[in-house]
Amino acid sequence: MSENKYTALKDVSDVVISTRIRFARNLRDYPFPCRLSDENKRKVASVVKSAVLDGHSAISGRFQYIQMSELTQEEAVSLVERHLVSPEFISDRQGRGLLLLDDESVSIMINEEDHVRIQVINKGMSLESTYDLADKIDTLLDEQLDFAFNDKLGYLTQCPTNIGTGMRASLMLHLPSLKESGAMGKISSSLSKLGLVIRGMYGEGTEPKGAIYQLSNQVTLGISEQEAINNLRDIAYQLVTQERAAREALAKNINIQDKVYRSYGILQYAKLLNNEECMQLLSNVRFGVEAGFFSEMDIQTINRLLIEIQPATLMKNIGKKLTPQERDRIRAELVRTALMQPQVPSSHRLEE
Amino acid sequence: MLCQSCGKRQATTHIKTILNGELKEYDLCPECAEKMGYGSFFGNMGFDLDKLFGSFMGGFSAKPAKRCQCCGSSFEDIAKSGKVGCANCYDTFYEELLPSIQRIHGRTSHTGKLAHSAGTQVKIKNELAKLKSELERAIKAQEFEKAAELRDQIKELERNE
Repeated sequence: MSENKYTALKDVSDVVISTRIRFARNLRDYPFPCRLSDENKRKVASVVKSAVLDGHSAISGRFQYIQMSELTQEEAVSLVERHLVSPEFISDRQGRGLLLLDDESVSIMINEEDHVRIQVINKGMSLESTYDLADKIDTLLDEQLDFAFNDKLGYLTQCPTNIGTGMRASLMLHLPSLKESGAMGKISSSLSKLGLVIRGMYGEGTEPKGAIYQLSNQVTLGISEQEAINNLRDIAYQLVTQERAAREALAKNINIQDKVYRSYGILQYAKLLNNEECMQLLSNVRFGVEAGFFSEMDIQTINRLLIEIQPATLMKNIGKKLTPQERDRIRAELVRTALMQPQVPSSHRLEE
Repeated sequence: MLCQSCGKRQATTHIKTILNGELKEYDLCPECAEKMGYGSFFGNMGFDLDKLFGSFMGGFSAKPAKRCQCCGSSFEDIAKSGKVGCANCYDTFYEELLPSIQRIHGRTSHTGKLAHSAGTQVKIKNELAKLKSELERAIKAQEFEKAAELRDQIKELERNE
């Protein structure tokens, strides 16, 4: 299906926060990571590392290699908060390596659940370009590494849930209105029938925080990359339409308006904000921006804050360990400063 | 990730349930998963029977379990952990894995991108499928010159097949 069907919906940045494509790949000559000795882990890391860094492509020089065991706990957790690696990847960092592109749009995890996990992440809805880049990097590596591949089963992975294309395409969505209206349960059960899954913000096994969800394809065998992406896009656009319809109704509700403006007030003046409260308030204000309550506010400011306020990223940016209370103080300061730029409430709200 | 039930051991089992229309997900360690009645997602296929015979024979197992020559995994290892040991396991235990693969994906054969190590036959088949879907699109869009070009390419490939 072509994208033009949805020209009316072209800018969907109100709902779609980011796009991510991930490929799972393994080297044919080594056992999968669950059966890999420490020595072989080192070998796999060094083979993959040189395939990327010593490649002839222009992109090769822009990667840096990070030995995961050398990071502090905050630095490691911050990588998860910024969606550059999976939570599973930092649970045991021994023998694991990360190749990170200078602008952080591409990360290649080595010895996670599979030998190689190529991940490309971009802002907003950009399935085509994100896929193209991931595909390019995969092809580059395929030329130099012997990937485990089977004519019948496609790319072979440690967990059979990933065989075939080995591709997981995900969209991070902000769905406060659908959540508020109690529709998420019904949506998630009907999605599973379509081969898609909707989860919390940090993927598998995480709870949705601040109404942020991750929508991704579940089936990887017997469906081509393009079909899976088209499928995901179709469903995402349907969710965007539903979210907007639900938002329109909610935005007229005085209780919701009150909640949004109160949230904005707290964020502007609070001296201490814990992570959970802050996520919820930012989500409420983001809803307000989507619904046109705050015409001057840039939605990207809020997207950025949603990551910067996370505890480990906060400490990493400050450059030292902080107690929970110190974090709450600095978090409040960070949000206050970011919202300080004149934010004029839009006129139609004042008329009421 | 730690087990959400005991909070002590490493979680290895991911459980998804739909209760009253609400999707719930848990990460559990093998012990807690077992306790709560969630076995491995491979179910209990094949290996239990061997075990049963083994106990009848008083320790003289009828035949040693089949093991992957590459990594040494038995199918029981794979079924227990939910993790396949190496690429070769997919050949060794193809028959045993197939029912689970069918259950997970609903399909059993790959379409999509091919690694450079893929066989030539598969590469041609894949290229043909791609060209045919492009042809369909070109006809729909009434791009007849492009369609003719694609048709020639398809004919050429089919001759080589």
